Amino acid sequence: MKLKIFRYDGEESHYDEFEVPHEPGQTVLDALFYIQENLDDSLSFRYSCRGAVCGSCAMLINKVPRLACRTQVKTLVEGEDSAEIKHYPALDKGDEIPERAVLVEPLPHLPVEKDLIVDQDKFFEYYRDVEPMLKTEGEAPQKEYEMSPKEVNELEEYTNCILCAACFGACPVDGENEDYRGPAALAKLYRFHIDPRDNEDRLELADHEDGWWACEFHTNCQKVCPKNVPPNIAIGKARSQLQKEDE
Amino acid sequence: MEKEMLHEHEILVIGGGLSGLRASVEALRGGKDVAVLSKVHPLRSHSVAAQGGINAALGNTPDRGEDHWEDHAFDTVKGSDYLADQDAVDILCKKAPEAVIELEHMGTVFSRFDNGKIAQRPFGGAGFPRTCYAADRTGHNLLHTLYEQSISGKIKFYDEYFVTSLIKENGTCVGCTALDVREGTLHAFSGNVILATGGFGRIYNRSTNALINTGDGAFLAYDVGAALEDMEFIQFHPTTLYGSNILITEGARGEGAHLKNSEGERFMKDYAPDAMELAPRDIVARAIITEVNEGRGIEDEYVHLDLTHLGEEKIKERLPGIRQIAMDFAGVDPVKEPIPVQPGQHYSMGGIFVDKDCETDVPGLYAAGECSCVSVHGANRLGGNSLLETVVFGKTAGKKASEEVKDKEVNESIFMDSVEKDRELIDSIVGKKDGILYSEILKELRETMFQHFGVFREGDMMKEGLDKIKRLKEKFEDVYVGSDDKKFNQALIRTLELRNMLLISEIVAIGAIEREESRGSHYRTDFTERVDEKYLKHTVVRKGEEAPELEYSSVNLDRFEVKEREY
Repeated sequence: MKLKIFRYDGEESHYDEFEVPHEPGQTVLDALFYIQENLDDSLSFRYSCRGAVCGSCAMLINKVPRLACRTQVKTLVEGEDSAEIKHYPALDKGDEIPERAVLVEPLPHLPVEKDLIVDQDKFFEYYRDVEPMLKTEGEAPQKEYEMSPKEVNELEEYTNCILCAACFGACPVDGENEDYRGPAALAKLYRFHIDPRDNEDRLELADHEDGWWACEFHTNCQKVCPKNVPPNIAIGKARSQLQKEDE
Repeated sequence: MEKEMLHEHEILVIGGGLSGLRASVEALRGGKDVAVLSKVHPLRSHSVAAQGGINAALGNTPDRGEDHWEDHAFDTVKGSDYLADQDAVDILCKKAPEAVIELEHMGTVFSRFDNGKIAQRPFGGAGFPRTCYAADRTGHNLLHTLYEQSISGKIKFYDEYFVTSLIKENGTCVGCTALDVREGTLHAFSGNVILATGGFGRIYNRSTNALINTGDGAFLAYDVGAALEDMEFIQFHPTTLYGSNILITEGARGEGAHLKNSEGERFMKDYAPDAMELAPRDIVARAIITEVNEGRGIEDEYVHLDLTHLGEEKIKERLPGIRQIAMDFAGVDPVKEPIPVQPGQHYSMGGIFVDKDCETDVPGLYAAGECSCVSVHGANRLGGNSLLETVVFGKTAGKKASEEVKDKEVNESIFMDSVEKDRELIDSIVGKKDGILYSEILKELRETMFQHFGVFREGDMMKEGLDKIKRLKEKFEDVYVGSDDKKFNQALIRTLELRNMLLISEIVAIGAIEREESRGSHYRTDFTERVDEKYLKHTVVRKGEEAPELEYSSVNLDRFEVKEREY
């Protein structure tokens, strides 16, 4: 299996090609470890759970932002990759996908620190900006706040977000407007807005041109999300609610 | 050392998982200046992967009547094969309901019954449906909630800092040194230290643990003279996905999944006729390996976890994460076909010895969660009790460490010396031009641990294993890192982790060899009986002049009478 990998040492960038022996079930993360452990120990990439729950390893793989740990090498090499997203300018930077190989590059729209590692500070700054913590009023009940299973189901769609930033790297608007809060932060804001326990008027926090109103509904965010979170739906609902309030 | 490389705080929390964040929030509430150092972003901590749930005697299940914390305590003590300290278990179970309610008030979205209350499911070894859950993503939901709480205050986060040493002054722990992984620079930190670094599962090659679980905290504590307790008790989870060993939650069996061998038989009837699939983990893990060893495994490697009879709707609602894992990592849709599973390392019952206030035996040093051993799990942990331990004892650690903050001058030269010492160590590893790569030693270590200190253990086999570990430690003297990059030198980090893992492995081995009985997760084919007269005791290991020194200490048996364990 051939992997072509973006390299950056803080000053200059280039691509390296590696040949990695194939194993059944091998993921891109497995292949990166093979390289780090056997071929080039200077290769850097983030990792932790290797089970698609921690959100460490989002990167651009064959020009689609995804988690390296849940992406099978074989599917990519054999051209069975079914991921389809709307094209955006960041994908034109860098090399093209070689024949029968995997191209691994850092997540777009965030500054590269080293090799496949990006600086996520801005992503988390936008997350903090939406004040993502439950705010209740008055005395809390002795026991739990009661909630219906239906309310929980709707909330779960958004609490499933693992903050991997794949959506941030896939959103064409984030590529153009560096102040756009991005899909994950807005989905998080919406999650607190619909939480029946929360008393804050949440929507106005992103009622500006770099918040709800910047989204152009390309829906790349939902397509690349490893947890099927639909930020585009949250944004649509938030907008129509704000419009109704205006009327 | 430049002045700006010394960071003064009151509380240093090492580790940003559930225990660490709960401790931080508590210390912040106490008005302290808190810093969290984590080798990964806190949301990448292994707590995020916990699936099944968190135990509390809420008694929410309709038509099941009341549940009592004493019953929770009994199940926990029996599950521990009586090695848990019963006074610590009392605290855990008594505080469980308020801890869960508090998490709910902080924002966790738990699954609900139709009556609006937090839903609870049956779990292994428990006499009541006591496990509160958020689908099969409970750890994820709890960690995100606690992170949300911790960023709302003034906690200083040092993300991607790898702690290299603890610093002592006149016998008291006063801080630590850490490598900023992003920049490759060494820093010193002052404050009372709370270790919350998680377990050490990655000393095994088949493990459900995140790749970062390398026992760093236990190494750091041991190195400054703190005791490690019951390190030989390693939990093997019965159902990990064949191939990648990703966890398939016990909640699946709680929801009614069956374990079947190659003949399609529910073989648990031969091992635990009453509890069946919901017997405690040690018993189910041994049953699976026995089935495979006796030729009733599939491909001689695994058995089937069958969910198909639960139906699509229930699987999608209660176990959506499991379904996704099975599809992504094994190409199997559990709605249609059984999941291939085998036992894999899952949890470290042992850890840094702490008392009920989370104090280690080094003043100024505290520990909570999986890295510690307050001993609520004894020889075998019940599912749903680990998340509970993180929040109950994380809070205790944060409170106690805060109460003991002392106003005193920071003696800079001690910090400077520690940084120099670590710089020399790093330079000696990175500066070498050739030698042995960490990856070679690591691979051998993990295979050795699984072969020699796995589900079934035997004296001679273990002694051979210990010899191998010692040889690997010698090999480590020649370890080198090819890359001299300052930024994100992961080969260096993994080499330092390996140093920690080699020591931990040795201590696991020593404890396992010395304990000539079978108890909970520690099962010996040459000593198959539990021997209470001699071994109803905690193993305690400390750093000696030349080698680790082992002794035994008593178990608190205040509440329940010690009995045979049957399910």
